[in-house]
Amino acid sequence: METRPKIALFQCKWCLYSEPDQYWVDNELPPSIHLVKLPCTGRINPLFILNAIQGGADGIMISGCLPEKCHYKEGNLSALRQQDEFLNLLDYIGYERERVRFVWLDLQDRSRIQKELSDFELEIARLGEAKVLATRTKQPVGGQYV
Amino acid sequence: MSEIKAKLRSEIERLLKDRFVDVFIAFKKADAPLRPQPAFFRNTNELDDLEYNGLCQNNLANYLTRYPKDTKIGIVVRGCESRSVNALVVEKQHPRENLYMIGIPCQGIVDIRKIFNRVGEEVANYSEFQDEVSVVFKGEQIKFPRKEVLHDSCLRCVHPNPINPDILLGDPVPEGDPSIVRQSVESFQALDKEKRYALFRQEAERCIRCYACREACPMCYCTECFVDHATPRWTETSISPAGTQAWHLIRAFHMAGRCTSCGACERACPMDIKLTYLTDKLNEDMLATYQFEAGMDDTTQPPFASFNLDDKNRFVV
Repeated sequence: METRPKIALFQCKWCLYSEPDQYWVDNELPPSIHLVKLPCTGRINPLFILNAIQGGADGIMISGCLPEKCHYKEGNLSALRQQDEFLNLLDYIGYERERVRFVWLDLQDRSRIQKELSDFELEIARLGEAKVLATRTKQPVGGQYV
Repeated sequence: MSEIKAKLRSEIERLLKDRFVDVFIAFKKADAPLRPQPAFFRNTNELDDLEYNGLCQNNLANYLTRYPKDTKIGIVVRGCESRSVNALVVEKQHPRENLYMIGIPCQGIVDIRKIFNRVGEEVANYSEFQDEVSVVFKGEQIKFPRKEVLHDSCLRCVHPNPINPDILLGDPVPEGDPSIVRQSVESFQALDKEKRYALFRQEAERCIRCYACREACPMCYCTECFVDHATPRWTETSISPAGTQAWHLIRAFHMAGRCTSCGACERACPMDIKLTYLTDKLNEDMLATYQFEAGMDDTTQPPFASFNLDDKNRFVV
């Protein structure tokens, strides 16, 4: 792969307790990583994942709090069942399951997000560009192609 | 089969005469031959048109959600329809006390396309007797064993007997074999990734986005479907590859833990696209992971509507 793989990062806004980490994610992410901040990983609808894939992402990383340490107590558990099963379905029709990765961050895990992202980037670079599932045609939004 | 029809008719007559139900949903003879259509009986004098045979291919549970909840509905159900009704009751689409289900053990729905493929389209006078169906083609009577012309999803049927109906007409038939479904899912899964994607593309990209599968499905009752949203626009709404693939994936996924494998979507598809291989996979997963089958009773919530703190052991790596 000549350029860096495109990665969509879905991040729960409560999971990075350490301020420098959150600052890094908010301001210093490499341009190949697209950040989507969510109130909770429980907010993720399978459509978000599919939209990221069809929008051209080579890999998708979902970072959230440990299920028992969810800010909303049980928020992420309710959606986890769906996300897990949706990945099964994607795998069934031939999409590489390894392209979607969950990361559970704990209070102690300072600066782990950088490490996880670079690991994941290497993994996606190994897998190469995503070919399975057609990419959406670009739509002009506000006069710009996004 | 005409015996069943006579029984059904007298039963509906009784219900309508006693004003026990406001409307009875069943099938009637349609203008097009060999395609009985859903009918909504409110008076006993309409019952001359009543029809019930293997060609009745709609899932009648589809119409439950189109009535106000205080309407007393009577409905004739086969195995899959009774499960759909139960699943709709669980989702509070109609209260069970305002429903009256007449169950008929099902011998399977005859796929009219299979008959057309074998003899040609100018078929008239369908009739059936026990395990044999016969049609008249150009003045000549042709007979088939029923098994050969059954719809694919009926060949894989596991629960042909209605589940918790108010009254059962006819004798129960033997239950199906769940390993047939598992085999078809596993044989697809055994193919390599490229082949699976090629098959998925081949099926999905033939789609013309008529949404007949959505309209035929009893569980697709959202007033606004995700493909009809303008802002945010979730998927492409044209017949582009990305749009059709997204539609097929998400449509199937919305059925996870709710689909009763009636195959109404496949029978409704004008392009003859296979759809059940996706929902069958999800059903198998629901059964394996959560020991859940949709519509087996009218109280258990589907897995995605509920969650359990034990889940954290299952997912966290």
